[in-house]
Formats: sequence, structure tokens, C-alpha cells
Amino acid sequence: MRSTILFSLNGRAVELGADRAGMMLAEYLREQQRLVGTKVVCDEGDCGACTVLKAAPYHASRSKRAPRFLPVNSCIISVAQLDGSSIVTVDALRSGAPPTDAPVGAGSTDALTPVQRAMVDCHASQCGFCTPGFVMALTGLVEKKLRTAPGYPRVISAKDAKNATTGNLCRCTGYQPIIDAAVAIPLDQCQSVEQSLESAPVRRRLALAIQQPVLLDGPDFRFFAPTQLAQLGAFLEKHPSARILAGATDLGVVHNKRKQRLIAAVSLHLIPELHVLEERVHKGTRRLRVGARVTLSEVRDAVKQSVPELASFLDLFASPQIKNQGTLVGNLANASPIGDTSPFLLIAGTTVEVYSPMRAPRQAARRSIPIEQFFLGYRVTALAAGEVITAVEFDLPSARDVVRLQKVSQRIDLDISTVCAAIRATPSRAGRARLGRTVTGVRIAFGGVAATPLRFPRTEHALEGRLIAHALDPELLEIFQSEMTPMGDLRGSSAFRRVAAENLLRKYFRELALEDRP
Amino acid sequence: MSPPRSASSASELPHDSAHTHVAGTSEFIDDRARLAGELEVVVLFSPHAHARIKSIRTEQALAIPGVVAVYCAKDFAHNLWGSIIKDQPLLAEQEVQFVGEAVAIIAAETREAAYRGREAVAVEYEVLPAILSIDEARAARSFIGARRTIERGDATAAFASAPHTLAGQLVLRGADHFYLESQASIVYPHEDGQLEVHSSSQHPTETQHVVAHGLGLPDHDVVCVVKRMGGGFGGKESQAAPFAAYAALVAHRLRRPARIVLNKDDDMIMTGKRNPFQNHYRVAFDDAGRLLALEVDFFSDGGAYADLSTSIMERAMLHADNAYFIPHVKVAGQVCRTNFHPHTAFRGFGGPKGVATIEVILERIAAFLKQDALDLRKLNCYTAEGGRDVTHYDQKLENNCLPQLFAELERSSDYRRRRREIVRSNDQARVTGAPLRGLSLTAVKFGISFTTRFLNQANALVLVHRDGTLQVGTGATEMGQGVNARIAELVARELGLPRSTVRILPTATDRNANTSPTAASSGTDLNGAAALLAARKLKVRLSQLAVALAATPEERWASNTAGLGTQAELGAAGRSDPLDDPNEGADWATGIATYHGVRFADGRVHLAGLPGSPAGPGKRTRRGSISFAALVNEAYLNRISLSEYAHYSIPGLAFDKLAGKGPAFLYFTQGTAVSEVSVDQDSGTVKVLRTDILMDLGRPVNEPLDLGQVSGAFIQGMGWVTTEKLFYDRKGALLSHAPSTYKIPNVQDTPRDFRIRLLGNEENRANVRGTKAAGEPPLLLALSVWTAIGDAVAQSPERDGAWPQLEVPATQEECLRALAPARFWAWERATP
Ligand SMILES: Cc1cc2nc3c(=O)[nH]c(=O)nc-3n(C[C@H](O)[C@H](O)[C@H](O)COP(=O)(O)OP(=O)(O)OC[C@H]3O[C@@H](n4cnc5c(N)ncnc54)[C@H](O)[C@@H]3O)c2cc1C
Ligand code: FES
Ligand code: FES
Repeated sequence: MRSTILFSLNGRAVELGADRAGMMLAEYLREQQRLVGTKVVCDEGDCGACTVLKAAPYHASRSKRAPRFLPVNSCIISVAQLDGSSIVTVDALRSGAPPTDAPVGAGSTDALTPVQRAMVDCHASQCGFCTPGFVMALTGLVEKKLRTAPGYPRVISAKDAKNATTGNLCRCTGYQPIIDAAVAIPLDQCQSVEQSLESAPVRRRLALAIQQPVLLDGPDFRFFAPTQLAQLGAFLEKHPSARILAGATDLGVVHNKRKQRLIAAVSLHLIPELHVLEERVHKGTRRLRVGARVTLSEVRDAVKQSVPELASFLDLFASPQIKNQGTLVGNLANASPIGDTSPFLLIAGTTVEVYSPMRAPRQAARRSIPIEQFFLGYRVTALAAGEVITAVEFDLPSARDVVRLQKVSQRIDLDISTVCAAIRATPSRAGRARLGRTVTGVRIAFGGVAATPLRFPRTEHALEGRLIAHALDPELLEIFQSEMTPMGDLRGSSAFRRVAAENLLRKYFRELALEDRP
Repeated sequence: MSPPRSASSASELPHDSAHTHVAGTSEFIDDRARLAGELEVVVLFSPHAHARIKSIRTEQALAIPGVVAVYCAKDFAHNLWGSIIKDQPLLAEQEVQFVGEAVAIIAAETREAAYRGREAVAVEYEVLPAILSIDEARAARSFIGARRTIERGDATAAFASAPHTLAGQLVLRGADHFYLESQASIVYPHEDGQLEVHSSSQHPTETQHVVAHGLGLPDHDVVCVVKRMGGGFGGKESQAAPFAAYAALVAHRLRRPARIVLNKDDDMIMTGKRNPFQNHYRVAFDDAGRLLALEVDFFSDGGAYADLSTSIMERAMLHADNAYFIPHVKVAGQVCRTNFHPHTAFRGFGGPKGVATIEVILERIAAFLKQDALDLRKLNCYTAEGGRDVTHYDQKLENNCLPQLFAELERSSDYRRRRREIVRSNDQARVTGAPLRGLSLTAVKFGISFTTRFLNQANALVLVHRDGTLQVGTGATEMGQGVNARIAELVARELGLPRSTVRILPTATDRNANTSPTAASSGTDLNGAAALLAARKLKVRLSQLAVALAATPEERWASNTAGLGTQAELGAAGRSDPLDDPNEGADWATGIATYHGVRFADGRVHLAGLPGSPAGPGKRTRRGSISFAALVNEAYLNRISLSEYAHYSIPGLAFDKLAGKGPAFLYFTQGTAVSEVSVDQDSGTVKVLRTDILMDLGRPVNEPLDLGQVSGAFIQGMGWVTTEKLFYDRKGALLSHAPSTYKIPNVQDTPRDFRIRLLGNEENRANVRGTKAAGEPPLLLALSVWTAIGDAVAQSPERDGAWPQLEVPATQEECLRALAPARFWAWERATP
């Protein structure tokens, strides 16, 4: 058992105990390391000014083409969570080595990286406060592009640029110069931070360290990262109020905004089994099993072929920084009525796999909860105290299923849903003459219209077997409306949620009907 | 006028801090290393919109480890401040007037302890009724300042005889500046009671004065320094000062450095926003759509204190015409006092409120007459023909490019073809439910100058060092807009030097005193002009010296004799009568005239007779040269001053505030923009598909920096008219006080196709070097997005061409409501 955490910061090993490990990374960088290039604006993951690159010890993806260093928001990551990771900050980029104090002459751009130079040349910074964050986000994009498979063009498109900077706000430039800069980055002159800012001996130390669990036991901060589920029980028994940390993109915000301080936490990131991401066939249905530590980015890449609808839906989920850090299971366990993946999981025959450390080894420590029984009330789930989710498993829709996932939010990207819809049905093979097709297997779930993510059993039942073209009569819409109880809040009034939700249902059938037309 | 172009001879050099910005080494307030003993300051603010403070108890807070002091109103020597009217307490006294009003400040060893201290201060309030809307304020006659009017002709009579009239109301909500660097200041106490204030402020002079006044110090004991801001946008024009005063109070009392850095939530809750407006209008027009008369009654929400709201209102009234000639006009404006944060300057000031009103009026007339709104705009556009080029406050438009801007953009954006295509596409969308599309072309004519006349002055200090490098200090503050780069470029160009020889110093009140805020787009105009005046004086002096040197054998120059006991001074040089200055009355557009044929170029000074001049008769016109640095050195040895200070004030402003008449502006920056949007009929979601902008920015000093102002201002304006919604609860508390809930545009929101071009206008002679201010005007062009949304929504099956009632911002909910009002009403009636 280790009693300090270990991570790499710009190529150097850093070992910390409980007195520092409870800090958020941005605060640690600025206050303890005086690496003030990393800026803090919002402290809630929503602006990207604090972006750094992180290479985690485990990745779900098996592809060698996936970059190791990914942009994340340092304002909502606690230092403890970095155990085993490597971090690169803007301060180190310029010289491609740990920061030095060597002065840069007036106007000198000599020591800048190609990303930085492109930003200068394209006038992509004005006040400069957002700039380090953009530089890091684009450096992350370059890491990805450097791994482009041979034979594919290695270029950065405007679309790549936008997707890579979705998590970064700039109030000065209007973004266009930043997009122009990204497109102008000369990839052939770029070097991976793996070469410039990682050291082999430090990597070896990290690889060894993560074989051992860590326990930090300070007066204000207790932290446990086991390497096996079986180690969990003892800690949780002693600290029953300990929070389970996944990516902490929800918990970090709660911590920062001072509603709740993290005083005892368990991180599951060193348990290899929880990084599983695999397809399997169960009773003739293809299913995807997603371990508790699999990030939303990893899920997104995994379903790109199998459920493109889910992949493009996830494109609208938060930002790359959040998705590189946050997990699917965290989104589910958070049980927010506006959690984006919940409606999908509700219509996809999901099972939630749970490990109960308190029961082990006396009783069977593992159980599985059908998603229908998971959400009990506003932010209340079927998990008992101390229980952890190990994985979720859901159906991959068959070719005949029509799944639509739609998100309505105040701003299209990087916003929490006002209303979110997942609708699935299987149209009949052939339409009845002139009347068109019917639907079966209708599943409807919405977020943002009740205290929990909500299934619509009565509406589903009423729709079963209906003709697509005539599916939505006033009576049905009345049933639909009667199943929800939306609130009004700053994201939208209750009336807006009702009208929008109904429109999303109408749109689903309208689009199906269009396909029916010859 | 030359044809439009997208590249010019202007410099393309980057922002002077670009390389440190990208490296992360640019220093902002909170990046400064902590000094020993430095304290953190946190503000405790009111949770109530209006309440009486019954008691403030600090013992528990002071008992928290690390908490050093808690201060209240009585701790300031003078507690009232205000840019125009001193009506705002630095710390609330008997009453709090808005949610977020500062009540006490807590100083502690760490930020963490300061926050904990804040939670432990016990304030007892008695909640009082609050005024939380313009309507409530009007009913209660709760106003700031008097109602003002600007009038031309006889609007009443014109309405009586007009063929058509329309009336309506336009609601424009506020917006947060969302500068990325929140309000911040560090104050270092120095000996003998002096204070060095570092502030993220657009107005160091006011910050200095507010600090000094608040603490009861003479101005000369307070220096305010501004290195840079992480964005300002008007939000740090007046409202940076109180935060500096809080840190200063701590530093002054405890003689320890004190740092205040607001977090984003506190910043958004405490600071004022763009003023919300509610405008009632009436317009008269003929069958062709020609405007005959306009009446607008502007009401703004000033918040709890005056701040700059009365000036903002004035600018709204002066922009009620925008690009259009209206024979009979009557505009009135009244600022309302409510229980919200004191609203303040925000890029565009009142301009956007005036312009939005006339632009929506034109759309409504077009919908009414079933014409294309662009035709109406062109019909009513200011033009010299028929004398239709005088504003309602009697300022004649010089060098007006509006007709050209309309015509050129109509052509280059392919407006007519796209309009036809959109009509077709909407015909289909009405059947299929696909998104509706809208297209709109709007204009801006933005008056450049502070409407408060005395602010139109600036001073500059130029120091030349013996290695030939320069330092320039002005009152301009750098907030990203590139004012430093522009001023450096203006000065360097006059002296024929590369820009890298000019270093712009942090703005500091001990270098440049009595400065105006960097605001009203005037930073470069005013301070660049002052810097040029100073450079000009130096140039004249150096030229005179060069003339003298050219007539003196080199071996007798001071640099060759200094220290040898045979020092030869060129007595007269540099001491001549200033009236000898050939630049007296020079044209700003042409720059500084040469003196006696001396030419400054390529870092050298060229003149016949200087070393390198070919000898012999007949060749005297060929010049020799010496390096600028060598000439400077020679000047020093000849005891010629290498420093200059200059003062500049804008000539010719004669606006009579009482009468509302006269030239209010030195010139106008003009432009047009056309935006195409789609509005999703199911969700109200808006996408901006394409925007084309054409602007007249005169002859830019640095074109990329100007283009950056255009794209940045446009996108910021787009946020205001689309997604940026300030959500207050029923008790007046702002709930959307962080980017998770307050949605400024994201990179994905930039128009899919975004084209910005500048009109080559060589004719602007009014301003320094023929440039035109670019900071604010493009923001107003974002109204084209808003009118395009209206255009799209008007095409919905329910509206059938009728212009919808849309607020600013046209949020997704606002759009969906406009698309399906009946369904909203049904649910709202069902669940009140
Ligand atoms: C800027 C920003 C944007 C966001 N945008 C979106 C968005 O668009 N859509 C959306 O739905 N969400 C969004 N979120 C919320 C958040 O990112 C997601 O909910 C994310 O999936 C949470 O995952 P995590 O791994 O970070 O969870 P954590 O924060 O680590 O945990 C969340 C909760 O789940 C519990 N938990 C985690 N793992 C387990 C486990 N294995 N067993 C039991 N309990 C567990 C934790 O104790 C905690 O209560 C956003 C958040 C931020 C900061
Ligand atoms: S500070 Fe805004 S995302 Fe971290
Ligand atoms: S440059 Fe100022 S916020 Fe981006």
C-alpha cells in the first residue's frame, strides 16, 4: 500500500500526500508550483481556460491510434485522481522542456511550438486569458492528428478545429481567427508531447506504482484508490460517507462551488477490470458492456460504427475535456434528471452491474439492476450505501430499429439539456397498401421533464402497432403529456419543456412517415 | 473611394503580447507572485434586492483561523462614489439596494480562510419591497436623472397626416460582459501612506480617484497601474474601481499587500450588466415605405445606482436614426432606478438599443407593405441627395459611405438570389417541418467620440533611449483590443522604425494623469493622436539636429569629441522656436510632414550632407544617413531632450446636451451585415448559417487587429441577441451567474460561413492617420442575426408573413414561443 500519490508533471515525477492531494489541479499548479500559465475562470469545467493534457494510466481503447495525452479541465480534477497519470501544462510547451526562466526577447516567437506560432500568426489571441486553454486544446488535437493512420491525409480541417475547441470559451476573438490558426498548424513540424515532455524513467516509475493501491489518510482529506474491488470494503466501512469518484466532472463542480467539500473519496481508476469496453452477444442481441471507468470519449469512439446515432448525440455532450474525463457510469450514477445518456440507457435494455463491498465476502457481492428500476426519485438511485457500479451493459440497436436521440439546450454545444429525448421503435417490414408501416417495440424516454429521467410506458403502450402516419392523434398526445411533470427553471419554462418534448415526439414520427413516402 | 478589398498596406504584425499570451507567460493580476504577508480579500454581498441592515456581527468571522479583519462602510473615509453622480456606497450603509451589493469585506491569510470568514459574518436584514422591472419603476416614479428629449421637425403633425403608422414595444434584456478575467486588484502599501494599486481596469484614473477619495488620501498618494486586462468590454470602465478600493482599504489599514480576485459567480452576481431597455415606438411612413416620422420613448433599467446609465441613454437616443434619414423625430429617454445591480457600459453603450429599434421598425414596415426589408433600408438610407444627410441632432454626415455599403454588400452576398432560394426552401419547410430560414441585412452608423465632451482628451509620454528604443506611455489600457500595438505602430511608423523598437508601458497614473477611460472605441483615436503629437515634437527636434549635423564635419560631432575636453555642442539645434514646426495644422491623414527634407526610414535618418552622401556639386540631393540610434545619442550629448509629453483633444465637438443639437461626434464608423439563419420549428434552436460583413474602417493601422475587433464584436453581439439570457428569480437574484447557465457563443456558434471585408476608404481625414474606430460598431451588426431570426419565424405556417414579437435575446424558448404562441398559452394557463 502506498501512502503518497505519484504523477508526472511536465516530465517530472511529483509525489504528494494528503495535505496537497485534495487540491484541485489548477489550484495546485498555480499556488504550489507557480505554473500560472493555466488560468481559472469558471472553476466548473465550462470555459476551458484551465485545459491541460493528461495521459491516464489505463485506457479502454485498444487502438494504438488513440492518443494518450488528452485535454481535460484542471479546475475540476483533484490532484489525488492524477495518481499514475502524466500531465502537461502550457508552461512547458514553449521550450519543449520543463519551464525555464529564459527570457524571450520582444516579439520573439523562436521557441514557440508550431501550434503557438500559428496562434500568433493568425491573430488568434486578443486579451490572452483564454489563450493558454486554446493552445492546450489544439495541442491535444495535434496529438491525435500525429497518430493518423498512414495513407490518410494528415490535415486539420475547420471542423476538426471546432470540435477540438468546443470546450473553450473566448470572449474576444469571435473564434474565427482561432479556427484559422488551427487549420494553419503545420503538422509535419509538430512533435508529440510524448517525446518532448515525458521521461522514460518517470513512466516506468508510474507503471510500477499503479500496481499498488494508495491510501492517503490526512486529517482533512482521506483518499483510497484500490487495485481490486475486494479491497474496497475495509475503507468504506471506516468511511461510510466516502464519495466514489469516477471522472469527478460532477463531483469536482460540487466541490468547487463550495456546497460540499470532498473530504473522503474513493477512486476506482486503478482497477483494470473497470476499464472494460466490449461487445458481446446475449440471447441473440448484440450488447455493449461499458466498465465504470470508461470515459464518454471512449464510449463515443466505440459506438461510432455500431450506433452512429449515439455517437453523434455524444458529440453534443459537454466538451472534449469533459468527455475525456467523465464517465458514462458517472453520468448514470449522478442520476440527474437532465443527464444526457440516461434516456438512451432507458430505452436500450440496460442492466446496471453492481458490486456491494459490504456484503462481500459473506454474500454474493455482485448483483445487477435493470435500468427500469434504477432511478427511484430526484437524484435517488437503487444503489445501497457503499455499493458501486462496475459496469453497464446495453443493447446495440439492430438495423431495423430506428433510434433517435435528440437534445434541446439553450446553446447547441457545451450545454446541459433543457429537454432530451430517446425514442426507439421498430417499423414493420412492409407498409400496408397506401397506409404505410406500423411500429412495434416502441420505447420512449425523456430527460428534463420530471424529477428523474423518465420512461413513458402508457404512451409506448398506446403507440404499439399503430400506423406511423397516424400515430399521433390528440388523444395520444394527451397521454404523453399526462406522463410528464416538467418544472420551469432557468433553462426553460415548464410550458417550453412540454411544447418542445411533444415536438420531438412528433418529429420522430414525422421523419418516419417521410421515409414511408415513395 | 477605392473598391472593397480584404488586404491592404496596413501592418499585419501581431498583438504586442501575442507571443507571451500563447506561451502562458503574460501576467494578469492573479498571476503576480504573492508577497510575504499578502492578504486575500473577499466581499460579502447582499442576498436581498432591497433590505434594511439591522446588524452586522463579525466576531465569529474574526475567530476563524486566518481571518485578519472585517471592514464595513464606516471604515471608508468617504463611502460614496460614482462616475457621473456620486450616489453609490462602496459598502452598503443602512440599506442594501440590490442582490450582490457589497456589505462587508473580509481580509484573511488565504482565500480559503477569507471565504470561510465570509460565511461566518452574520448580517441581519429586514427585507423591504423591491422594484424589479421597468414597469414597476415607472409606476413608482423611481428614476435616475431627468427625462430627456431630442427633437427635429414636427412629429405630431407628421403622424396626423401620415398614410400609415405602426406602433409597438421592443424589450431588450441585459447581458453580462463575461470578460474571462473577473474583477481583480492588488494593492501594495508603500512608505508614508502611499499605495500602489494594480487593477484590471479600463479607467486607471478613476480607480486612483475612487481609492484616494474612499480612503481620504490625496490623489498624489495613490498610483494606479494597469498592465492588461483579460477582457473589459465596458464592464471595467466604472466598476473596476470599487474592487480596487476594497483591496486598498485592507492594504491601507493593515499595511500589508492585499489581493482581491473575484470568482466568476461573485463577479456576475455583483457587477452591473448591459442596461435592459423597453422602448415604445411609433412610426409614420408612406406607401413606398419612406419614413416620415418617428417617436421613441426609451426606458432603461439603470439598476440601483446611476453609474453610466444616463450617458448610455443619451447614446441610445443619438442612435435612434441609425443609417436612416427620418424627417420628423422625437425621441425621449428616461433611466429607471430599480433594485438590480447598477447597469453599466457594455460595448456599444446605448447604441445597440437605438439601432435595434429602428431596424425592427423597418422589418415591420416591410412585412406590412409586403416588401423586401432591404429595399426599404436602401430607400431610407442617409444620402447627400436632397439633403437627406443630417441627423436628428443636426450633425451633417461627412464622407457618408452607407449607400455604397448597402449596394456593395447586396451584390457581394448574392442577396437577391439567396432570398429567392430561401422563399422556396421555406415553402417546403412549412410542409415538412424542416427548419425555417431567414435572411436580413442591417447597417450600423456609430458615432465616434464620447458624448461627454471633456472625456475627449488624452495625453502621452514618449521616451527615447540612447540605444534608439522607445517607451510610450498613454492613458489607454490594453484589454485585448490591441491598442498598444496600434499606438506602437503609429509612433514607429512616424519615426521610420520597426515596431519592435517601441515598447508600450503599462498604463500608470504617475505617468499619465487625468486620463479618460479606454472606452467608446476611442482608445487608439485619442491616445494614438497624443502619442503622435509627442512623437512629432521629437521628430522635429531630431530633424533640426540632423540638419545641424549635416552641416558639421563628422569629427566635430559630440559623439566623437565627448569626454575629450573638446566637446562641441551644436548650440541651436533642438531649441528652435516651436512655431517653426511644419506640422502645425497638419492633416492627420497624411501623417507628420518632413522637416527640412529630413527623412526617417528603415531605422535611419536620411539627409543630404550626412555621412554617406556623395560628395561633389550636383549630387547634393542624394542623401546620406545615420542610424536613428546614433542620432539619438548625438542628441543626448547635445543636451537635447529625448522625452516628450503631449496632450490631445478632439476639435470641433459642439453638441449642446440641453438642446440635444449639434455635432456630437468627430466621425461615424459605418458598416453593413447580412445574416442567414435557420430556426428549428420543433425546438426553436437557431443556427447562423452565413454572415457577410462589410465595414468602413478608414485606413486601418493594423488590419488583422481591426478584423479581430469585427469578428469578436459581432460574435459578442450575436450572443446578446440569441443565447445570452440573464435569469433572475422573482426576488431579483441572478441565477445564471456562471458559464454553465449563462451561455455566451461557443466556437460552434460562429456562422458556418463567415466573411468579413473592409471597404477601402481613404477619405476619412478627421481622425489620426485616417483610421476609424472599430471596437464597438461591429457589435451592432449582430442585430442582423436577430432580424433574420424574425424573418424566419415570420415565415412559419402560423404567422404567414406577420412579423413576430421577439425580445432580445431571441432565445430558443423565445423563438419556439413565437412559432407556437397558442400552445404556450394553453400550458401557461393550465399551470400558472
Ligand atoms: C462543463 C460540464 C459540462 C457537462 N455537460 C454535460 C452534458 O452535456 N450532459 C450531461 O449529461 N452531463 C454533463 N455534465 C455532467 C457530467 O460531466 C456527467 O454527468 C459525467 O458523465 C459524470 O461522470 P464522472 O465520471 O465525471 O462522474 P463523477 O463526478 O465522478 O461522479 C458522479 C456521481 O456518480 C457517482 N459515481 C461515479 N462512479 C460511480 C460508481 N462506479 N458507482 C457508484 N457511484 C458512482 C459519484 O459518487 C457521483 O455522485 C457536464 C459537466 C460539466 C462540468
Ligand atoms: S476554469 Fe473554466 S473550465 Fe476550468
Ligand atoms: S482572447 Fe480574450 S477571451 Fe479569448
